[in-house]
Amino acid sequence: MRGWMRSRTGWRWLALGAAWVACALPGEEPKPPADHVNWLGRATHKGVVTDADRAWWAFQPLARATPPAVRDEGWVRTPVDRFILAAMEARGVRPAPEAPARVLARRAALDVTGLPPSPEDVAAFERDPAADAWGRWVARLLASPAHGERWARHWLDVARFAESSGFEHDYDRPNAFHYRDFVIRAFNEDLPFDDFVRWQLAGDEHDAGNAMAMMATGFLGAGVFPTQITANEVERTRYDAMDDMLATTGTAFLGLTVGCARCHDHKFDPIPTRDYYRMLSTFTRTVRSEVDVDLDPEGDRRARAAHEAAGRPLAEALRRYEADVLPGKLDAWLASGGAARLPEPAWELMVPTGAQSKAGATLRPLGDGSFLAEGKNGDTDQYTFVARTTSREVRALRVEALAHPSMAKGGPGRADNGNIGLSRVRAWVRPASGGERKEVVFGGARATFEQNAGGLSVKSALDGERTTGWAVDPKFGEDHAAVFDLAEPVGFEGGTEWEVRLEFELNTRHNIGRPRLSLGREAGADPKAAVMPAAVASALAKARAGAALEAGERTALTAWWRVKDPGWTEAAARWEAHQKAAPKPSTTKVLACAEGYPAVRMHTQGGDFLEATHFLRRGSTEMKDGVATPGFLSVLLRGPEDRWAWRPPEGARHSGQRRSLAAWLTDVEAGAGQLAARVIVNRVWQQHFGTGLVATPNDFGTQGARPTHPALLDWLAAELVRGGWRLKPLHALILGSATYRQSSEADAAKREADPSNGLWSRWTPRRLEGEAIRDSMLAASGILDPAMYGRGTLDAGTRRRSVYLTVKRSQLVGDMVAFDAPEPLTSQARRPVTTVAPQALLLLNGPHVRAWAEALARRAGAPQAAGADVARRMYGLALGRAPTGREEAAALGYVSGRVSGSDDGPAGLRAWADVAQVIFGLNEFAYLE
Amino acid sequence: MSRREVLRRAGNGAGLLGLATVLSDAGLIGGLARAAALDPMAPRPAHARPRARNVIWMFMNGGPSHVDTWDYKPELQRSHGKELAGFDKRTGFFTDSVGPLMRSPFAWARQGQSGTWVSDLFPHLSRHVDRMAFLHSCHTESNNHSPALFMINTGSTRMGFPCVGSWVTYGLGCEGRNLPSFMVMSDPLDRGLPKGHASNWGAGFLPGVYQGTWLRPKGEPIDNLRPPSGVDEAGRRAQLDLLAELGREHREASPVADELAARMESFELAHRMQSAAPEAFDLGREPEDVRRLYGLDQPHCRHVAGQCLMARRLVERGVRFVQIYSGGMENQRSWDGHEDIVGNHRGFARETDQPVAALIEDLARRGMLDETLVVWGGEFGRLPVSQKGSNPGRDHNPHAFTYWLAGGGVRGGVHHGATDELGHKAVQDKVSVNDLHATLLHLLGLDHERLVFRLNGRDFRLTDVAGDVVKAVVG
Repeated sequence: MRGWMRSRTGWRWLALGAAWVACALPGEEPKPPADHVNWLGRATHKGVVTDADRAWWAFQPLARATPPAVRDEGWVRTPVDRFILAAMEARGVRPAPEAPARVLARRAALDVTGLPPSPEDVAAFERDPAADAWGRWVARLLASPAHGERWARHWLDVARFAESSGFEHDYDRPNAFHYRDFVIRAFNEDLPFDDFVRWQLAGDEHDAGNAMAMMATGFLGAGVFPTQITANEVERTRYDAMDDMLATTGTAFLGLTVGCARCHDHKFDPIPTRDYYRMLSTFTRTVRSEVDVDLDPEGDRRARAAHEAAGRPLAEALRRYEADVLPGKLDAWLASGGAARLPEPAWELMVPTGAQSKAGATLRPLGDGSFLAEGKNGDTDQYTFVARTTSREVRALRVEALAHPSMAKGGPGRADNGNIGLSRVRAWVRPASGGERKEVVFGGARATFEQNAGGLSVKSALDGERTTGWAVDPKFGEDHAAVFDLAEPVGFEGGTEWEVRLEFELNTRHNIGRPRLSLGREAGADPKAAVMPAAVASALAKARAGAALEAGERTALTAWWRVKDPGWTEAAARWEAHQKAAPKPSTTKVLACAEGYPAVRMHTQGGDFLEATHFLRRGSTEMKDGVATPGFLSVLLRGPEDRWAWRPPEGARHSGQRRSLAAWLTDVEAGAGQLAARVIVNRVWQQHFGTGLVATPNDFGTQGARPTHPALLDWLAAELVRGGWRLKPLHALILGSATYRQSSEADAAKREADPSNGLWSRWTPRRLEGEAIRDSMLAASGILDPAMYGRGTLDAGTRRRSVYLTVKRSQLVGDMVAFDAPEPLTSQARRPVTTVAPQALLLLNGPHVRAWAEALARRAGAPQAAGADVARRMYGLALGRAPTGREEAAALGYVSGRVSGSDDGPAGLRAWADVAQVIFGLNEFAYLE
Repeated sequence: MSRREVLRRAGNGAGLLGLATVLSDAGLIGGLARAAALDPMAPRPAHARPRARNVIWMFMNGGPSHVDTWDYKPELQRSHGKELAGFDKRTGFFTDSVGPLMRSPFAWARQGQSGTWVSDLFPHLSRHVDRMAFLHSCHTESNNHSPALFMINTGSTRMGFPCVGSWVTYGLGCEGRNLPSFMVMSDPLDRGLPKGHASNWGAGFLPGVYQGTWLRPKGEPIDNLRPPSGVDEAGRRAQLDLLAELGREHREASPVADELAARMESFELAHRMQSAAPEAFDLGREPEDVRRLYGLDQPHCRHVAGQCLMARRLVERGVRFVQIYSGGMENQRSWDGHEDIVGNHRGFARETDQPVAALIEDLARRGMLDETLVVWGGEFGRLPVSQKGSNPGRDHNPHAFTYWLAGGGVRGGVHHGATDELGHKAVQDKVSVNDLHATLLHLLGLDHERLVFRLNGRDFRLTDVAGDVVKAVVG
């Protein structure tokens, strides 16, 4: 035995991370497989599923159950009650009496929405004699947006949802919250559950244009993933990641521990290793990706069309003004000698015929004489511009570094912080007619702004040092300009050929992102003065001389001059303002888990996925045994596998494999749909009653519990499917039952006959989850912030609902953890409910709880209002009832013991906050009764 | 018998900490889980006579080099500068910085009656080698910090399994009811948390009550220990009395009165914890000679000295399991000596040597060492070949590392297992992480094959499917 154990240890060394014999019976000595040869040989091909395996209740088609007849017809409210009552009657057990109206109102409100009802609603419900009062109350709760917020939290446990990666760095997944929002929305909008399944597994393959469907795929990607993967670990890590997807899929939708079949055929359930790897291969190319999705494509299209239509008259007005009015205005200006009155332009645009980046950036002309540097962003770079000019007396070179939204902080540089680092400026000239090329000698330099007066000044761009130069931190997002005065004027008869070189070697990637060059006629020209294109300058010169302008010259002049005309600027401004107001597409980045999008990379010494998924013997990547192709669980096949095969259109980025899996999973006729329906119906029952009809909601296999009422489970599952898989009618069916409305009364005889309440012969009180307790405190205090959806927060003091607390794996919110919120590592079907001192410490000393208690005290009228009124109001808000005489006296006694006389100042408020805090601590506040 | 019935028959007399109203897979849980459901923190009998009651685990975070600390390799000294034939360059983390064999740059000498070789990194600990049992042949399953940390803390390289401290608390409960049972201290010098953060003391799928309580290195060590301003003792007492009074009618009418009574009792316990915890954390109550013994007066080690002294105070007050991390995240911030193994290891050894030695000495003087197991080690070892650089270091080595245990029923001066002559791989009497865990549990009186928890239809163990107790080190 020992030797065998050792060898197993050896296997495990190879299998790494697998837990195969962990599936042994409790207390059972792990045994070697019965068939050694088979085991050590091609174990993966051994598993054969028999008819006996298929006979297990959970794999059977849904039974066509008829709600049974009962003796006490009067008790029955919905068909659910017939199943429950029939079983009770068979054992001679009577249902518990109906709970009081106020208890029921509170029970349903907390159960369905996670928030206590307002005292007014409780009172109204208590007074409502109508037969349908309960139905209306339930319908109202189910229609409340708070319903999705509460029930999403239940599902997020099942989906092991978190917003960070875990492992070494626990990097945030800043766009993972969309999955949470999807679940809330799905429950509120009553998305059919089969679509809920399909989208989570393959939203991208169903409808990549549908934002909800893409968000849903966050389900697959919610698991942990290492942030640092050594070459040795790449393969194993990928199998682990796929295992997480498959195991969670199996547990969440089918209540089957498929993951148990990773290293060997499942020890108890008919899941051969072969089925495991075939299902696993469904996810071969499925990876986490940040995908841009349009939240409202139809709305965007409509908004664009409407905007265009609204803009047409403005564009037309501008065009007409330019055609009909502007030429006359320009003529009048010219005729009045306007050109002659203009001062000489300070700067003439240099229009390069060539612009090159040494590092390989693309310098794209923007039309205003500037170039936008795009693409490759070298650690260092040199831009070279060549141009031919006609000016004779050039005395200054201006280098503008212009802002642009494409750069960090709007530039003007391409550095990570938007800065520039112009280490050197050089220029050469020669006559266009030919002749010697000479380097231009610069004298002084000035700039609109310089980072300092030393090594980052504009002058230091002339000192020949690579480590000094012009920089502009912290004035980002603005246009900057540097002027370099020439030592002697430059310009040749017949034109001058220029070469200007800008060097960026002073700091990493500090390359100017949008340069523009111009030439000045005067040394000392204002660096900020506007630039005048050469064509305009020559047209003006001609106009001054009284010569007629050619068409091209006139066009250039018009384009430059029109800004001086109020009529044109007004029409143009209107058009421009309209353009700026163009509706932005409502796209957002979503963390999807799909195929064909770039994967979110980690520090990995390998690829993001493997080209193929292999059968692995004993789970070891060292023992591959052929390539696995997608398939389903043999025990849940009542038809050929190709029945569910879905092939994507030619050229699609995805394989269709997950969509096929989802089709099988929701097929009640021939696939796994009957099991999926039973599993979700059971989860719904569990959340309403505290325990499922199957007490092991994540295990419907042979090791799980049997249903207490199999016929009821099947009947509910069939009802769900019949109703188009909608959950709200199912909730209403359960909530409407007399079973749900029972009180928790149980005399000795009942406790004897139904000790564990397996007959559902009464209500079992249970403590609420930390989220509901926290939300109840906020709601009772009247300070709950009802803002829905969007990015959450790690701040436990937030006044939003707890479902919006960010789930960061390394920083789980302590207040929730104290109340048994699970670690989001594997699917959790049921939270443990522990009672430990840290919960009490939180309620007694937590800074937020104290603030909320104070808010409740104020809301109840403390400290000014009469004590008895404050106590009654507090009880109403927090517990939905009035205090008993004894309770009221105790509260008043406490307050009068803490303050002298009637104190309506801070001491009085403190005392009443003490009382409010005590109420938050009461069992009654924290229990669903 | 249903769980609810168990609760009912157990009655209300114990005045215990609390009840688990729902445990995973209720009705199917084994005896231990059922006992834990009744009162998750109640002390529970071990499977066998325990040698140790408490554990203090000095976690040398980042992976200390065994060949520079406790595993003397004369052949390595002689082979300095030679290539290691057949070495797989993917063994460590930096596959393209693999250098030749590198001798230990530290001076070695034999210490104690046992003649144990120790490098000069540990002048203080050297005096206690006859109290230590050395496991020289440890090996693990990952060459990467985070999975290796999970492995040594939870028995699995994957994230999400319960830690040793959680399993132990689940198995044995807590003797000091006024303090958390499993406490963790991390680096107080702003060098970060071990990689994987809180997962290194998480309860995984065990109920959250069994997770380690991380003591914040700065500010209030535990959340919510201090009453809100303006609340004095008399006020709090009156408030708790009001709570009992206002809760009475409801509780007495309830079918789950026991459960509700336990919940009310938890408020009283919290109230006691509020004074017990600050008392335990107050090192000012220790006499000067004890403070000096630990090195609280020494700037280079006073932070670890404080943690070690606190660990003794906690254990004294019934805390079951304490883990202290030496060093922060990785590289120069922990024992992760990729560069400059001399500077790195000298620094962290100086921080820990005197305090850990003092801990052993102090426990022994108080007669507590017999029942307190002190554990020393990291998540893996380091390679005998150098990692190239201007000041060479050593890369990760999952194939060999040394742990030592002291006190708690361990045989002193014993050396179990061995690495090859260069210290590259464990070769003789190899000790897997499962074996190490099985041994720790054994010393605490727990049978690692019987300490199970069922989740989603599977029974889980700390040691998964393996683990042999290293009998040679058990006294």
